Amino acid sequence: MSRRRVATVALIVLATAPAAWGTGAAELDAVRARGELVWAADQEGGGPHVFPDPADPRRLTGFEVELADLVAAELGVKARFQQGQWDRLPLLLEQSADCVINGIELTPERRRDYHCSRPYFAYALQLIGRRGSPPAALADVADAGPAGPWRVGVLTGSAAEIEMRARAARGAAQVEVIGYDGTLDSMEQVRTKVLDAAVMDDCIFGFYADRFAGLRAVDRPFAGGLYTVLTSRTTPRLAAAIDGAIGRLIADGRLKALYDRWDLGGRQQMLLLRDADEIPPARRRTLVELVRQTLPLLVSSAGMTMLLSCVSFPLAVAVGLAVAIGRLHGPAWLQPPLTAYVEVLRGTPLMLQLYAIFFLLPKVGLALPALVAAILGLALNYSAYESEIYRAGLKAVPAGQYEAALSLGLSKWQALRHVLVPQAVRIVMPPVTSDFIALFKDTSVCSAITVIELTKRYSVLALSTGRIVELAVVTALLYLCMSWPLALLSRWFEARLERPAGTAG
Amino acid sequence: MTGHGRMIEVESLSKLRGGTPVLDGVCLEGAEGGVTVLVGPSGSGKSTLLRCLNGLETFEGGSVAVAGHRLVPGPISAGLLEALRRDVGMVFQQFNLFPHLSVLDNVTLAPRVVLRLPADEARGRALELLDRVGLAAFAGARPATLSGGQQQRVAIARALAMRPRVMLFDEPTSALDPTMTAEVLDVIVDLARSGQTMVVVTHDHAFARRAATWVVELAAGRVARQGPAEALLP
Repeated sequence: MSRRRVATVALIVLATAPAAWGTGAAELDAVRARGELVWAADQEGGGPHVFPDPADPRRLTGFEVELADLVAAELGVKARFQQGQWDRLPLLLEQSADCVINGIELTPERRRDYHCSRPYFAYALQLIGRRGSPPAALADVADAGPAGPWRVGVLTGSAAEIEMRARAARGAAQVEVIGYDGTLDSMEQVRTKVLDAAVMDDCIFGFYADRFAGLRAVDRPFAGGLYTVLTSRTTPRLAAAIDGAIGRLIADGRLKALYDRWDLGGRQQMLLLRDADEIPPARRRTLVELVRQTLPLLVSSAGMTMLLSCVSFPLAVAVGLAVAIGRLHGPAWLQPPLTAYVEVLRGTPLMLQLYAIFFLLPKVGLALPALVAAILGLALNYSAYESEIYRAGLKAVPAGQYEAALSLGLSKWQALRHVLVPQAVRIVMPPVTSDFIALFKDTSVCSAITVIELTKRYSVLALSTGRIVELAVVTALLYLCMSWPLALLSRWFEARLERPAGTAG
Repeated sequence: MTGHGRMIEVESLSKLRGGTPVLDGVCLEGAEGGVTVLVGPSGSGKSTLLRCLNGLETFEGGSVAVAGHRLVPGPISAGLLEALRRDVGMVFQQFNLFPHLSVLDNVTLAPRVVLRLPADEARGRALELLDRVGLAAFAGARPATLSGGQQQRVAIARALAMRPRVMLFDEPTSALDPTMTAEVLDVIVDLARSGQTMVVVTHDHAFARRAATWVVELAAGRVARQGPAEALLP
């Protein structure tokens, strides 16, 4: 009965999923008709570009948020934010975003693959170290440090990474380059001495310098470049309109006013000159304030975690059971494809399957909304495991049960439906329950395809507020609040199955 | 229908298992309303012969006709097997009740699913049969809470609910202690007296003397002797 209800919920979710099936980036007229310019960025990348507003984490802020609003207004539409992981933001142009505005550096490769707008910001790279620790100058990393090559953190896929790898390759730097998904992660690791240094865009260090008082800029900025707005090659008129909008913002001083507001100009000098004890400590919010501000967001993301698990798992069980029955009782020609299905899905990582569904299917014309792709990926991946569990469960039902059912005149399918499957379901209840809990936790992988669930929300908030430990406790409590009732529910269900089922089945 | 009162006809039945014959040219006949008892030492092929009668086993030579359904060597179509089994009930040594269903649901399952009887009618038929085997009070119980003798009586009621023309019993009392054996045998003897055609595999000669109209003794897959009970089991 409850199974039927979950299936209904799944159908409703699928039916009401964003009506954006099969659309990639929209051309100018479509954007205008829709009234929204969808721009992609990674809020985990942090300030000053795009990050949750410390005063109200439900809001996003950052100079690129304001820039997106200005550009959208120039196009006569509203800006709508689309979350994505930074190093894969351009892929969203084939998915659900019209443009990418997120500190994307102008490079020859990007010029080749996408349309790059005229630049809207000039950045430089900055080497960051700990106060009082080597390296003392950029030139120092040309030779190995005290403990071998310098361990230097960079944002994966960024110009900083390309620059440092190039320097290492031509022998201009003795560095081991380590890629991170977020710039803040690398700063955190410099502070905790895991890394010797980090390289990032100067504006990022400028923005976070107050929080990381123990870090300092090493030497002058070097190897700069320009930020550009990426659009798809399939939307030339949208690209032209964005170029025009940026031109007007530069010409009439609105862009300069925006950068002054965000203090992205003369501040660099001060950062280089002042000492640690001259940096005023950032005001620390009380725990109550922190929880009051972040809890609503965390709770709504916990809802996403619940939705993902509660919709995908029944699907996984249904498909898994069907595959198990097919492998045990289906015709011979069905065996190779079913075996391949199980082995491929079990033998490849869930993350890869999610990428394939979300990023590769659009290339053959099937673009699924992120939520649908996430549910589908989880359901397919777990169906392979469930099918093996049900196969074992069906084989564990004594042979006499099947013979007794057949002897009563039941067909093979009737025997399965009324005698074998109900008993197998009872036998496999414990491993299936434990798989449900595993899936519940695996939903965090879905953040790779832009779905923001609890773990991703935690990671964004922890980095933007700097309260890693406190928020970890709150998040863990939320997970517990969900998994505990689930455990009780499955125990109740298990106990219920111990009793004979009613005539209605 | 056989047309001359013979409900069961087995002709030159041969079956190999791993290259060794387990049945070797077995012939036997069973009249409508008759009680055929198969006796013989362990491994003589009694149970295999019985399982050939409702298609749980295939065979390599000869033929089997039960209640007008004729089986020949090789794979048998699902439709023929289902039709045969609607007319032939079977009771197993290990009862094989469905543990996830109540006693009542064990008995109503096949009439509801196979015969598509309305729930009320299936229930009425089941309660009547449970009353006949003395277990009407246990309709709501789980099989696991019943004694072995009670479970076997439920299994008999379950098979009878399909109103089979032939009943097969495969050592129905071998897993039971003497008290329980007696209560199950009473039910089977009662059934025999009511004119039910049946084939019973048993080691219990006392039972055979009490109920059998025809006795077949197997040895090493062949019919060693057969004849009326009073002649074979003095």
